[in-house]
Amino acid sequence: MSEKRILVVEDEQEICEMYAMAFSRAGYSVKTAKSAEEALDIMVKTPYAVLYLDLNLPAMSGIELCRQIRKGWPMSICFAVTGYASLFEITDCRDAGFEDYFTKPVNLSDLMAAAEYAFNKIARWKKR
Amino acid sequence: MKVLIAEDDITSRTILEAILTRWGYEVMVTTDGESALAAMQQTDAPQLALLDWMMPGMDGPAVCQELRKLKRWNPVYLILLTSKSDRKDIIQGLEAGADDFISKPYNNDELHARLLVGKRIITLQNELQEREKLQGVLEMAGAICHEINQPLQALSGYSELLLMDFDENDPAFATLKKIKSQVDQVGQLTRKIMNITRYQSKPYLSNGKIIDIERASQ
Repeated sequence: MSEKRILVVEDEQEICEMYAMAFSRAGYSVKTAKSAEEALDIMVKTPYAVLYLDLNLPAMSGIELCRQIRKGWPMSICFAVTGYASLFEITDCRDAGFEDYFTKPVNLSDLMAAAEYAFNKIARWKKR
Repeated sequence: MKVLIAEDDITSRTILEAILTRWGYEVMVTTDGESALAAMQQTDAPQLALLDWMMPGMDGPAVCQELRKLKRWNPVYLILLTSKSDRKDIIQGLEAGADDFISKPYNNDELHARLLVGKRIITLQNELQEREKLQGVLEMAGAICHEINQPLQALSGYSELLLMDFDENDPAFATLKKIKSQVDQVGQLTRKIMNITRYQSKPYLSNGKIIDIERASQ
């Protein structure tokens, strides 16, 4: 069975570590990036199928990062996690190609459910 | 809508009060400039005022001038009632801060129409003010939510992770549950703040006002 790998892009150290602990505990292999640029470097070397992106990142935003990931890796599934959600932002997120949208503080069980859903979807695509 | 009348002549005052009441205005009557100025500074004062030019003591233009100096939280529309019709006088009145003139003897239809103009301007100014306030509230809400939700996410996540490590019979488990529940409550509050769509305040202590998060986010 192939490893289920998740890339978390979040500039807050504490939150990054917490996500990594939670996903590892649930059996996923997790990599973290502090910025959109770092995330794109990682994707070029080793693409990830499931990503959690903070929207408010330094320099390039999570929305722009999602656009670039969806362009370069169309099969990847991105989830947005944000500290502030205006309706305007939700529309932008859907437009950028996010699968779903979570507002902090989000329960870990919701993040895990999203990961399970995404990997099931990817498995189904692979079987066709 | 409330209207203030400042008129020293009893006949004119009584007629004005009767007409305005008939037109549906809530009328506040004063007999000189000083009391008009004081009435316009009260909480919940009228935003529309009909001021006679010639009054003993403080005259109409002087009331306008003083009112314009005040930092009122809401706008006012001031109409001067005058028998003066010289261009020089009109300029002086407008420069003092009046928005409009009505010449005595006035025609009722004209008075009605001019009051409606005032009402329209005030409504527009109030709407603009509400919009500016809402914009300020939304910007503040955004900043607060973002700053609070970040540490809240770490608190919520770490307490969830800790809960997984403890046995349900461990006393620490119950304590942790309480922490998590309080964190969730703050999370619900920030969600409400994010749903604010209108400016809605409520009284706070004696003179203060605070945003009514419950109603503003409905």
